[in-house]
Amino acid sequence: MNEIAQRYAQENVASIFLYTHEAHPGENYPHLTSMEQKLRHAHDLRVKIGVERPILVDSLDGACHRAYGSNPNMSWIISNSGIPVYKSDWTDAGSVESAIAYLIDVLKRRRNGERLAQFHVERADFRTQDHKAFYAGLERNGPKAVKEFSEAF
Amino acid sequence: MDSELIRRYNYDEFVKEKFAPWMRFDQSPPLGILAPDFPLLHLDGTETTLSELWSKSSFLIIEFGSFT
Repeated sequence: MNEIAQRYAQENVASIFLYTHEAHPGENYPHLTSMEQKLRHAHDLRVKIGVERPILVDSLDGACHRAYGSNPNMSWIISNSGIPVYKSDWTDAGSVESAIAYLIDVLKRRRNGERLAQFHVERADFRTQDHKAFYAGLERNGPKAVKEFSEAF
Repeated sequence: MDSELIRRYNYDEFVKEKFAPWMRFDQSPPLGILAPDFPLLHLDGTETTLSELWSKSSFLIIEFGSFT
């Protein structure tokens, strides 16, 4: 996602990471109880998992996250008039890139005078299941996170 | 703020009865109509809004997430 942010910045596309809540609270990154803690965790995202995009922080009750569906790792694309044009219940860089490339092309076609009508499409996309990276994330949060995930499924 | 909502949203353990109620993507806003706007904080604590962010570029890509 960092690479997509860099690649499309020159096309006037902005990218942010919005910190929500700990999906798998552990000893190192426990559940949130204050905004001070939430800001500290958000700061650590840059160092610990290499988020290079601007990191924004939601309110402690997750008002924004909850309004958008509150799944743990969603991606959305919103136009500059505030219209959502893509949403995905899981973040996959390939899926996001195919969407943003298409949307940029739509802008170019409009600028070239092509008459376009919006329509609605649904599509099932597919992501790589990287168990190694996922468990590394759980271990980063702490043994509690690993244990609870293994017991949940 | 509603302290009970804060406690439930920031659940303290990953067990189904605590995380499953928040998996509500099927109830998320539809595409094509104005998105809901919310105040957000930058890392330095300064305030902004989602609409301020989306209005500055042709498109805004938002990844929601945490450490996992």
